[in-house]
Amino acid sequence: MGISMKKFIIRAALLSVATCTRLFAAAPLPAEHLTVTTMPPDSPHRIYVLDEAFYNEIDARVNVFDGDTYRRLGQIDVGFTPGVNLSPDGKTTVVGTTYFSRGSRGTRTDIVEFTDNSTLKTTHEIVLPPKRAMTLPTYFNLAYSADSHFLYVSYITPAASFGVLDPAKNTVIDEIDTAGCVLVIPSGPNRVSSICESGKLLTVTLDAQGHEASRAFSDTFFDPDRDPIFAQGVPMTDGYAFLSFLGDVHEVDFSGAQPVFHKPWPLVGTADKGRWRPGGYQVGAIHRHLNKLYVPMHQGGEGSHKDGGTEIWVFDMSTHQRVARWPLAQQKVATVLAVQVSQDDKPLLFAATDHSDLAVFDALTGQLRHVEKQLGQTPWLILNP
Amino acid sequence: MRSIDQLFEKSSRALAQRTSRRSLLAALGQVLTGAALIPLLPVDRSARAAEPAKPAKPATDDPKSCDYWKYCAVDGFLCSCCGGSSNSCPPGTAPSPITWIGTCHNPSDDRDYIVSYNDCCGKVSCGNCECNRNEREKPMYRPSRNNDLNWCMANADSNYHCSVSVILGVAEK
Repeated sequence: MGISMKKFIIRAALLSVATCTRLFAAAPLPAEHLTVTTMPPDSPHRIYVLDEAFYNEIDARVNVFDGDTYRRLGQIDVGFTPGVNLSPDGKTTVVGTTYFSRGSRGTRTDIVEFTDNSTLKTTHEIVLPPKRAMTLPTYFNLAYSADSHFLYVSYITPAASFGVLDPAKNTVIDEIDTAGCVLVIPSGPNRVSSICESGKLLTVTLDAQGHEASRAFSDTFFDPDRDPIFAQGVPMTDGYAFLSFLGDVHEVDFSGAQPVFHKPWPLVGTADKGRWRPGGYQVGAIHRHLNKLYVPMHQGGEGSHKDGGTEIWVFDMSTHQRVARWPLAQQKVATVLAVQVSQDDKPLLFAATDHSDLAVFDALTGQLRHVEKQLGQTPWLILNP
Repeated sequence: MRSIDQLFEKSSRALAQRTSRRSLLAALGQVLTGAALIPLLPVDRSARAAEPAKPAKPATDDPKSCDYWKYCAVDGFLCSCCGGSSNSCPPGTAPSPITWIGTCHNPSDDRDYIVSYNDCCGKVSCGNCECNRNEREKPMYRPSRNNDLNWCMANADSNYHCSVSVILGVAEK
C-alpha cells in the first residue's frame, strides 16, 4: 500500500504552496473586544427548561432556549431539588431551592431567588425556614398569586404546610398548616389549594395581609387507590386539568371561591384502557386558544406512570376527541418525559426526552423542526409565559 | 440491621409528625392491614396481563441490578453500586430516619415482602446504577407511598446520595 516517494514529494510541495498562498493572501483577524451578550427581546417561543441534574443533584439549572433560532440563550442556577416558576407577567423566574454551606454538606439554607429574565441576573432573595418541599418539580412547588402580590411555597418536613411570602417586601408572612395536603395551586389573588391523599382539595383563602381567613375541603374528585391523578397539573384558561394514571382528564375550574370539578373524560378508549397510558413528569400541555391538549402516551401497565411517551396524542378539549397521534420513534425522537406548547398562533410543541434531548415540533402539524441534543442531564420541566 | 420494631417505630413517628391523630390511626391501619391486603389490592393486574407489547423485565437476584426483586419501587441510585448494599448505606453517609413502605414480590420463594425504602444521605447523588421502578408507587399527596420526595429531608445533612430497600417482613396472603 502507499504511494511512491516521488508522488509524496509532489503532493507535499503542492500543499506547502497552497498553505503559504493562503497565509500571505488572508488579512489578519481584527482585535476582539470581550463583551457580555445581552438577552434578545422576549418571544412566545422562549422556554425555560429545568434540568434537575439528577446525577449531581446540588447543581440543577434552568436552560433558557429559543424555539425559533434553536439557541441556548443562557442559564439560571437553581441549586438542589428546586421548585421553579415564572411570574404571571413572565418577567421573573422564581426559584425555591436549597444550598448547603459546604457545597454538598453543611448547614442547610432554604431560599427563594428571583431572576430578571431580561438579564438573567439574580436580583434578590428571601430566606425560608428549612422546610421547603424537596421533590420533583411541578407548577405547584412554588407559585405566585394571580396579581403577584403573594408568593406561595410548598413545605414538606414531612409535615405539610405552605409559606406565604411577600415578594415586594422580601418577607415571609406566614406558614399555614394544610392537614397533610400538599403543594400550592394558586387561584385568584388570595386562594391556595392543596391536593389531599383522600382525593380532595383543601382550599385556603387568605386575608389582605396574607394570613388564613378561611378553609374548606372539596368533595372527593378522584380515587387515589384505583386511579390516582398526576400531581402535575396542566394549565387551562380557568384552572388546571389533572390527568389520571389510566388516562382520565379531570378538569378543575379554579376561577371561583371554591374549585369546581367537571365530569372526567377519557384519553383512552375502552379497548385500550390500561394498555395506553399518559406518563412522564410533565404529562400534558394545553394550547389555551386552540383548546388542544398534548399528552405523551406509552403502552404499559401498573407502575409505568413515569415511563416516557412513545407517541404524542393530541385532543380537542371541546369535543374530547383525539385529533392526532404522532409516533416518535420514526422521527428518531426518544421517549418524551415533559411537554410544553407555546401559546401563540404559530405554536411550537416542546418535548424533553429521556435521552436529555429537546425536540421542537410544529404544534399544528406535528412536523419535527429540530432536536437539541443534551439540553442538560435530566430535563423534567418546561416553562413558558 | 435494625429490628422490625425499630423501623416501624420510626415510620410511626414520621407519620405522627405529618398527620392528625385520626389520620395517624388510619395510616397505621393502612400499613398494618396492608401487610395482608396489598397483594389483593386492585392494582390493575388484568391490564398488565393483557399487555402484549412490553413483557415485564425478569426479576433477578443481583442487588446491583435495577431488576432485583426488592427494588420494585426504587427511584434513585442503588446503594449497592455506591459502596453500600441493598440494605446498608455507603461509608460516610447516614440513613434517613423517615421513609416509606411498599410491597415487593420475590419470585424465588413466591412471597410478597414488606420493604422499607430508605435514602442514604449527606453526600451528593451517587450517580451509579440509576433505577426507576414504581410498582404501586403513588404521587406525593400520598407520601407514605411516594418515591419522589427526598427522604433525606429531615436529616442533619439532607443531601440525597442513594437508596436501599430493607425487608421488614413477609406480607402474608
